[in-house]
Amino acid sequence: MKINRWLLGTIIGTQFAFASVAADESATNGDADISALKQQIQELDQKVRVLERKDELDKADAEAAAKKQPLIKLDGNGFAFTSADKNFSVGIHGQLQLDSRTFFENNVAPGADGFLLRRARPIISGTVFHDFDYVFMPDFGGSSTVIQDAFINYHYNPALQLQIGKFKSPVGLEYLQSVKNWAFNELSLASDLVPNRDLGVELHGDLFGGILSYAAGIFNGVADGANTSNSDFDNEKEFAGRIFVQPLKKSGLAALQGIGFGLAGSYGDEAGASSSAGYKTEGQQKLFGYRSTVTGDGAHWRIAPQAYYYYGPFGLLGEYVESSQKVAAGANTATLENNAWEVTASWILTGEKNSYKGITPDHPFDVSKNHWGAVGLFARYAQLDIDSDAFPIFADPTTSAKSATDWSVGLSWWLNNNIRVMTSFSHTTFSGGGSGSVTGQDENTLFTRVQLAF
Amino acid sequence: MKTLLQILLALAVAVGANAKEIKLLNVSYDPTRELYQAYNAAFAKYWKAKTGDDVTVSQSHGGSGKQALSVINGLEADVVTLALASDVNAIAEKTGEIPADWQKQLPDNSAPYTSTIVFLVRKGNPKGIHDWNDLLKPDISIVTPNPKTSGGARWAYLAAYAYALETSSHDDAKARDFVKQIYKKVPVLDSGARGSTVTFAQRGIGDVLLAWENEAHLAQKEFGADKFDIVTPSLSILAEPTVAVVTKVAKKHGTTEIAKAYLQYLYSDEGQEIAAKNFYRPRNETIAKKYAANFSQLKLVTIDDEFGGWTKAQKTHFADGGVFDQIYQP
Repeated sequence: MKINRWLLGTIIGTQFAFASVAADESATNGDADISALKQQIQELDQKVRVLERKDELDKADAEAAAKKQPLIKLDGNGFAFTSADKNFSVGIHGQLQLDSRTFFENNVAPGADGFLLRRARPIISGTVFHDFDYVFMPDFGGSSTVIQDAFINYHYNPALQLQIGKFKSPVGLEYLQSVKNWAFNELSLASDLVPNRDLGVELHGDLFGGILSYAAGIFNGVADGANTSNSDFDNEKEFAGRIFVQPLKKSGLAALQGIGFGLAGSYGDEAGASSSAGYKTEGQQKLFGYRSTVTGDGAHWRIAPQAYYYYGPFGLLGEYVESSQKVAAGANTATLENNAWEVTASWILTGEKNSYKGITPDHPFDVSKNHWGAVGLFARYAQLDIDSDAFPIFADPTTSAKSATDWSVGLSWWLNNNIRVMTSFSHTTFSGGGSGSVTGQDENTLFTRVQLAF
Repeated sequence: MKTLLQILLALAVAVGANAKEIKLLNVSYDPTRELYQAYNAAFAKYWKAKTGDDVTVSQSHGGSGKQALSVINGLEADVVTLALASDVNAIAEKTGEIPADWQKQLPDNSAPYTSTIVFLVRKGNPKGIHDWNDLLKPDISIVTPNPKTSGGARWAYLAAYAYALETSSHDDAKARDFVKQIYKKVPVLDSGARGSTVTFAQRGIGDVLLAWENEAHLAQKEFGADKFDIVTPSLSILAEPTVAVVTKVAKKHGTTEIAKAYLQYLYSDEGQEIAAKNFYRPRNETIAKKYAANFSQLKLVTIDDEFGGWTKAQKTHFADGGVFDQIYQP
């Protein structure tokens, strides 16, 4: 039985030994598995880190590339491309004005009723090499195609800029306002006396944060109310300049911040040039014209004190213009001084802030939101007086008025920043002139306009 | 006495009133941020004491090749301090803004300090990396920047190539294959040396970083010597970062005189000390001896001896279609 116990013990011991070896092997295999798993985890961890790092680098490259991409913008101000460094840009804008005019006359020849494409202006503007701006604006409206603006402006800084080309002469306050912001379809009698667009070079700028603006230039010189013909037919040039001050623009007195006043003028010599295109009514009918034999014969100067005031929805603008020109008709010469003035008042009924630079509707037209845009009322009174020495040698008293007085009232509806609908009525009376002509009866005109500007 | 004090005060005010404020732009390669931060402060102090003028040096850093391209594309640097002469040559050839003989304008071929390529490994060197051939062990992942954009990466590539040439009796095919195998183990290519340091030290990617010597020391300093070890291989390349005045730009800015002085001051005792403290090998032998403990001793081969100079090396290895383009497939 000792043998059996020994055998049993051996067997048992062997079993234990085998079990122990098996356990060791199992432990070793387990360690190897754990080690392999750890290795795998490390490799996966590295892969994840590498992917994350690649993603970081890709994002950094994408950001760097985005900074070099040109900026493309399309909004209510038109379409614009700008280079990444902002040194170059080109913008496409436009103005479209579809008008109607209805003349209410009694006995003599009426003005021409009808619809007209008053202005159709594609505007290309932009900047090259950071400091050089340019504008090119042809006009396909009316009866002929005209280049209205074509100029380059070097802006060293806002206080000192040099502009060369064809652009608005710096004289008339009403005329210098952007056409899309005019109170009425047409300008007042006062603007008949100011030069329109001319070819020249002008130094201009804004000082003290826009409190003082100045412009001074040399131009070919144009007749009252006329545009340049894009070339000069006399040897003389015209100086034109303007200073305009908004003294309380940055003050804490809100009610007075919108006050602005200034003085503009021009001086030239128009010997040999034709004297004037004449003056026209708001309905664009000729109320005064020099005889065809009349030419400019010397100094032509203008002076134009001007002012405006805007506060909240209220606006008031006024200017006086005196135009003095030496003229000749054969052996007869005279210095004729014509003058005009106008006052325009406006009130934005929907409460938006009124300004010389137009208004922005607080709630653009959107029926679904019960938003209707902005509405404003306008009223204007203007008067034009012709020098009595003009008659009869230099102007025909039967066809040209000695004076004209005009009052106008109008309503504007801005659907949004880009679309405006206007309607107005103007009444003009004349003294002088004969029957059978424009000046033989009062002019009563109803205007409407649908305008798109961007 | 009172009158004398008044005169001196008036003079001081006059000098102060007439002191000019000068701005310089130094376009440099990626890892030199700390070097030029210290150097610019020292130079400004020196220049103020010498001329009374205040100078502010702005820095731009990035992969050396990318920086050279930026200058070629119009970045108006008054001076360039790039990783290798080839990048400065590229600016000279493509823009004419640096004269063709620029390397002769300053001592030591316009390389005021040198460096080399070493290995930065995890603490304890767990993968047992001691030399270039250890990089080819199966489980090793290598971090190095893109030789197309980084000067340091080009030096690292050439150092590996030189090792392979030296250990294969200058068998070019074997050297090419050696470098090819190395780049197979690179999981991500940063554009510059500093980016690779971030990848290795901060993102924890890779087992070894082929680093500028100064970057390796700075990584230890910034992240802790308990995180990394520096391994010096048996052989590496003598890297000579070069400096130059961008003559036409400096003339346009009216900074020619000060730009020249700015680079010349790198060779002064103070300039050399600052370089050494930032782990760049100074040219000044006295200062080099003073800081010898900062730098490992190893066999350094030159680009001229091993590769026939930078022009040839750039054309053979790093130009479009060169050896690197042939061996590296992303």
